[in-house]
Amino acid sequence: MGFMRRVAVLALVAVIGGAGAGAAQSAIPPEQVVRTWYRLVLELVRHTPTMSPPVASRSMGYIGVAAYESVATGSAGMTSLAGQVNGLTALPQREPGAAYDEAVVLHAVLSGAVADHFGNTGPTGQRAMAAMTEKFGAKVAAGVSEDVIARSRSYGQAVAAHVYAWSQTDGGAVIDNMGFPLDHTPASGPQNWVPTSLVRQQQAPLLPHWGSNRPFAMPHGAACPLPPPPDYSEDPASQFYREAMEVVTAKAGLTDEQKTIARFWSDDPMLSPTPPGHWISIALQILEKDAAGVERHVDVLARLGMALSDAFIGCWQAKFEYDLLRPVTYIRRVIDPKWEPLLITPPFPEYPSGHSTQSGAAATVLTALFGGGYAFDDATHVDDGLAPRSFASFWDAAEEAGVSRLYGGIHFRAAIDRGLDQGRCIGAHVNALKTVAP
Amino acid sequence: MRRVLTLITCAALPVPAAAQTPPAFAEETASAGIAATFAGEWEEMVGGGVATFDCTGDGKDEVLIAGGVNPATFWRNDSPTGGPLAFSAMDAGLGLTKVAGAYPLDIDSDGVMDLVLLRVGENVVMRGLGDCRFERANEAWGFDGGDGWSTAFAAMWETGADFPTLAIGNYIDRAEEAFPWGSCTDNWLHRGGAAGFAAPLPLTPSFCTLSMLFTDWNRSGRPSLRVSNDREYYKGGQEQLWDIAPGTAPRLYTEAEGWARLRIWGMGIASHDVNGDGYPDYFLTSMADSKLQTLKPDAKGPAYADVAWVNGVTAHRPYTGDDLRPSTGWHAQFEDVNNDGLADLFVAKGNVWEMPDFAMADPDNLLVAGGPDGKFVEMGGVSGVGSVAAGRGAALSDFDLDGRIDLIVVNRNSPAQVWRNVTPDAGGWVQLRLAQAAPNLDGIGAWIEVRTRDRVQRREITSGGGHVSGSLGWWHFGLGAADAAEVRVIWPDGIASDWSGITPNARYVLDRAAGVVAWSVD
Repeated sequence: MGFMRRVAVLALVAVIGGAGAGAAQSAIPPEQVVRTWYRLVLELVRHTPTMSPPVASRSMGYIGVAAYESVATGSAGMTSLAGQVNGLTALPQREPGAAYDEAVVLHAVLSGAVADHFGNTGPTGQRAMAAMTEKFGAKVAAGVSEDVIARSRSYGQAVAAHVYAWSQTDGGAVIDNMGFPLDHTPASGPQNWVPTSLVRQQQAPLLPHWGSNRPFAMPHGAACPLPPPPDYSEDPASQFYREAMEVVTAKAGLTDEQKTIARFWSDDPMLSPTPPGHWISIALQILEKDAAGVERHVDVLARLGMALSDAFIGCWQAKFEYDLLRPVTYIRRVIDPKWEPLLITPPFPEYPSGHSTQSGAAATVLTALFGGGYAFDDATHVDDGLAPRSFASFWDAAEEAGVSRLYGGIHFRAAIDRGLDQGRCIGAHVNALKTVAP
Repeated sequence: MRRVLTLITCAALPVPAAAQTPPAFAEETASAGIAATFAGEWEEMVGGGVATFDCTGDGKDEVLIAGGVNPATFWRNDSPTGGPLAFSAMDAGLGLTKVAGAYPLDIDSDGVMDLVLLRVGENVVMRGLGDCRFERANEAWGFDGGDGWSTAFAAMWETGADFPTLAIGNYIDRAEEAFPWGSCTDNWLHRGGAAGFAAPLPLTPSFCTLSMLFTDWNRSGRPSLRVSNDREYYKGGQEQLWDIAPGTAPRLYTEAEGWARLRIWGMGIASHDVNGDGYPDYFLTSMADSKLQTLKPDAKGPAYADVAWVNGVTAHRPYTGDDLRPSTGWHAQFEDVNNDGLADLFVAKGNVWEMPDFAMADPDNLLVAGGPDGKFVEMGGVSGVGSVAAGRGAALSDFDLDGRIDLIVVNRNSPAQVWRNVTPDAGGWVQLRLAQAAPNLDGIGAWIEVRTRDRVQRREITSGGGHVSGSLGWWHFGLGAADAAEVRVIWPDGIASDWSGITPNARYVLDRAAGVVAWSVD
């Protein structure tokens, strides 16, 4: 038995030890159940049109909490998030003294939660979820006694149902027209956002009311405010103009490395797991490398998922408070009518940068979990032909994600720097939660 | 090299002399006798094509409809000239199951139409025997049908080859269940030789292709292969343009040459010189973000501008009913349905399969050219072709030879539909066929030009594109009120014929040896 396998088995025994000695257990380690379902989640995010980055982050938050709670109720060392995060009431409890199989519980809770959040996916996603639920479920349950399977499955489904019911009251449960309002009256100031896309659906901004959703850990969407962007001005001596010229200059002199950075972090909806999925992918890679057990898996994924979701709420609250135009609009109006950014400009206001806010939040949470100097490689986009990148720390990665948007020509400097600051504030709310005892 | 291109550099769309003539269609599915359904589940979520071609020699196109899990069905065209439409089911030897789509092509240049059947499983080439009878010819022609999920086709003749070169696009690895994404299988290039096909050459990388078209985008005299890919399944993919030169390995055009990265749910390609600049323009169907691409002025390479919006052809959501979710586009085809001299655009629409983010009641589009400011105007509803069945493949063909283009649409899991064009005030027209010595009797790769007093219309003679649907019959040009026209052909080898006068409202064979030969049913 190799070291990693021994660690997994020991972790499994630790989790289930008090929950029914003597019962046959799944041959699939529970953390492998988590990893397998998250692999599917990242694919479903990419292939479900509803899953714009804010919506994807919300799903990652709830799925993370569901998985965490299903494990926490069977572990003396884990604290429930009920009563800590906004609106979550006490979870269903396990039968005292009864045997549960953690892998079967996790399979049940994750199959339920994933189905809840990806009901809008297409026929291939539906087929994949069905295959995972049935075929992978059969593997997970192999060798486990029928009564334990039934009890574990029922319990996992109950946790999933409880978390799903909670999610329905947060303001983000219903997404019409992929998040683009059918009617939208834009503000008329020269500083205000105007559509930049040739796609007709994207003539209204994405999810203008997302900032009023109920967050997980921070008290409300405006809990981490940031100063206003530089005053709009077309004066070449102004700060605003200078920031626009920085974007123009950067684009004109982009190195191959900077182009790679821009594309590595671009994480476009429907073409990637989206920005929050990218950070989940980073966490999964690290957890695998560390041969982490199931408690660590669900703790990290729940905390990171909540932080990412709260980051999009906070960021969107600010985006629609300031309603700032994109660089392509300003630059074509004031500096160069034929200017083209490297990346496709997203269809919503500029300030602050969503990539920056969510990356700042992710770095804050992951730094608390793994340490400030944790170096790692990120192979998220290998299948898309983008080579892995190496980072000295989570903040190293977050700062690169932020500046990638300047290289891409879709954000000004202020949106990046202050977005990272906002993320730091949002992540701190998640770090204050009590989960796994040290 | 742009050898034969003449005049015209304007970017704006041509504007007709008179106001638009609203087209009118009458659905005659029941009375025409066609009863066919493309049916199936996951492996039939794409596909559902139709091939139209004449195999009775009366000039009227017969129809082959893909059936998915049902056998493909062949329908002989018995329509009297001027309608009503009438078809009879006939055992042509084509009743294979798992057929996704079909394209007609005289592969062996014997003057009898053959067929390529795209299937979930082995593709099959069917040799025409005459009198609408067909037999399998994979072995005889050395065609390796493979075992894929084939969803796109294009054909051309490479210089010096007796047999055509076939490009076949393939989709997902259908054995993958839980993680099919990123499992796009290789597209194949079956290069034609002296008496058959070489072993298929993988067109790597391949990105889950749903439409392909050999097209001479720069009028160089050598078609390139345009490939439209479904971003739902590829990783690291994009739309593609292959440079395919005789005797050399295919190579992709690059960003440095002007080919910009575009990633859409590419499902169908329609091609036409819409803006009259002498180069083909391309309409690409997708989900909510269809494109109309025109070659950028002064482009040094394949650099295109998206002009879908400014020309009114985004077709991004239903135009009838209260279902305002985004549309899903499949087959697209340019044809002049009101004979005003401007090509119109038909788009088959339909939800993939219970995708809640997209419209379920998604009417097919008929975008009629020549509206205010030169834009296309949606007339699918008023013309009567706005079916909300789950459209997939389609073909526009003058089934009753009355000079007006009719329509057949294949729907997924509901019956195919056929409409007769009954536009009361349609303009004049001319319908043309090409004929040259073997190989490539039908002149695939040629350009036909029709000149009236005020302008020149051009169309490239292609085999491929659309959504698993192809036609090979009369090439139709509307002439509006013109009382005379001239035609010429730029043959695939670049040699241009002389201009010849023709009389409107008639059919002609443009024979490379004999010149312009009038054709009639009798």
